[in-house]
Amino acid sequence: MNIEKMRDKLRKWREENFRNSEQIVDVGEELINEHASKLGDDIWIIYEQVMIAALDCSRDDLAWSCLQELKRQFPDSHRVKRLAGMRLEALERYEDANKLYDSILQDDPTNTAARKRKISILRAQGKSSEAIRELNEYLEQFVGDQEAWHELSELYINEHDYAKAAFCLEELMMTNPHNHLYCEQYGEVKYTQGGLENLELARKYFAQALKLNNRNMRALFGLYMSASHVAASPKVSAKVKKDNVKYAAWAASQISRAYQMAGRGKKENKCSVKAVEEMLESMQITMS
Amino acid sequence: MKMGEVELSCLAYAKMYLHASQFPRSSVNGLLLSSSPAGAAVCITDCVPLLHSHLSLAPITQLALTQVDVWCSQTQQRIVGYYQANACVSDSSPTPCALKIAEKIFEQCNNAVLLMIDGEKMFPGCRVPPIVMYERKDARWALKDKHTIMLRQWEETCSIVNQLFSSGDQTLLVDFDSHLDDITKDWTNQKLNAKIMELISPANGNV
Repeated sequence: MNIEKMRDKLRKWREENFRNSEQIVDVGEELINEHASKLGDDIWIIYEQVMIAALDCSRDDLAWSCLQELKRQFPDSHRVKRLAGMRLEALERYEDANKLYDSILQDDPTNTAARKRKISILRAQGKSSEAIRELNEYLEQFVGDQEAWHELSELYINEHDYAKAAFCLEELMMTNPHNHLYCEQYGEVKYTQGGLENLELARKYFAQALKLNNRNMRALFGLYMSASHVAASPKVSAKVKKDNVKYAAWAASQISRAYQMAGRGKKENKCSVKAVEEMLESMQITMS
Repeated sequence: MKMGEVELSCLAYAKMYLHASQFPRSSVNGLLLSSSPAGAAVCITDCVPLLHSHLSLAPITQLALTQVDVWCSQTQQRIVGYYQANACVSDSSPTPCALKIAEKIFEQCNNAVLLMIDGEKMFPGCRVPPIVMYERKDARWALKDKHTIMLRQWEETCSIVNQLFSSGDQTLLVDFDSHLDDITKDWTNQKLNAKIMELISPANGNV
């Protein structure tokens, strides 16, 4: 691969926020070791990107050398200090990391990066309730931080606090109305909460997710399952039952079609295709 | 094999290990299968890796359980257990979600096992299998006596896992979550299974 291609790859991964750390280390290390002089000012952001990826891959040697370069170039930078903190976190030296972040916050109380690192440490230590508490406090100040809302929803899901997870996802859906993933996740949370009302809500949000992205298989299956459950419920009116049977049938045909197309020509998919077909058949029997 | 004994095959162990390694920052889970008839002992001959995100949400778990059920009846296998590896490596105790799913499996299989992968023991050169097993006793899940857990040809199993990593074949592993992201990927892992079976030396009679 030539330098241009390598740079472009790293840029793409940076912009899309991919965490493919092994690839980043592969490409980045070569770029840094062999072509550092030709990278111009890009080199600093590449050092940062590679350093973080190196921590992810337990390559402390590489992380350390990147950090040294950055420290030399930006001796008083909070951004570099945060990277030093991340390295301490990777070495599980949480107390030292916290001290570093606290010193950043003393200097600059609005430094969101340092605050979020402190919350990540709580998470790494398994202190979920404290992480949740700190994150809630953070969000009171920084209400627009999407990443934080999503992190909070994940924490609540892990703690089985589905109502609060739903609230976080509602915030995310409001500010990101075109994001099919949030709609689909919201559907999953509602489905998990259970009960007729939640199942109907789940179905609606799965449908919405599909409107935004008709290839979201989780949403398609979610629609199928929630509509099937509503249709099978003894508490619904004949009309609601009829409607949901229709929705479920539509979803089933879409699923079938998707799997037929996926299974074409690939011998190894026969098993998963067959499993889905049988599943759809058996669920149809229980519904009628 | 005696009553209460559990045998874990190389194939099942390798795929669980690969699954946990593929997603080091998430909790992962999966189902343990047996192709042996029901009896006093449990032979775990294979496993299906399921999720690496939102383990505690219902729809995809239900979907996966249903599909694996169907596949099992097509292939004369039974679901005999559940495994999970927690994201937080220092804590390998079963989560409420793990207990819930294990309970469901127990309803259909009265010597079902719950297997937790101990992340702290997953490093090259570790002499001890990184697993902790639980069984249903007196209405709760109790730690299983280590001496009733059989991992035949442990050294060979370790070497096979190492070979999978060095050949890059560990990337072949597909879990149900990845399948939903791209349904052309095979969650029954036929390709990977074949590679692993190739590595298992037939002379030792290991299955």
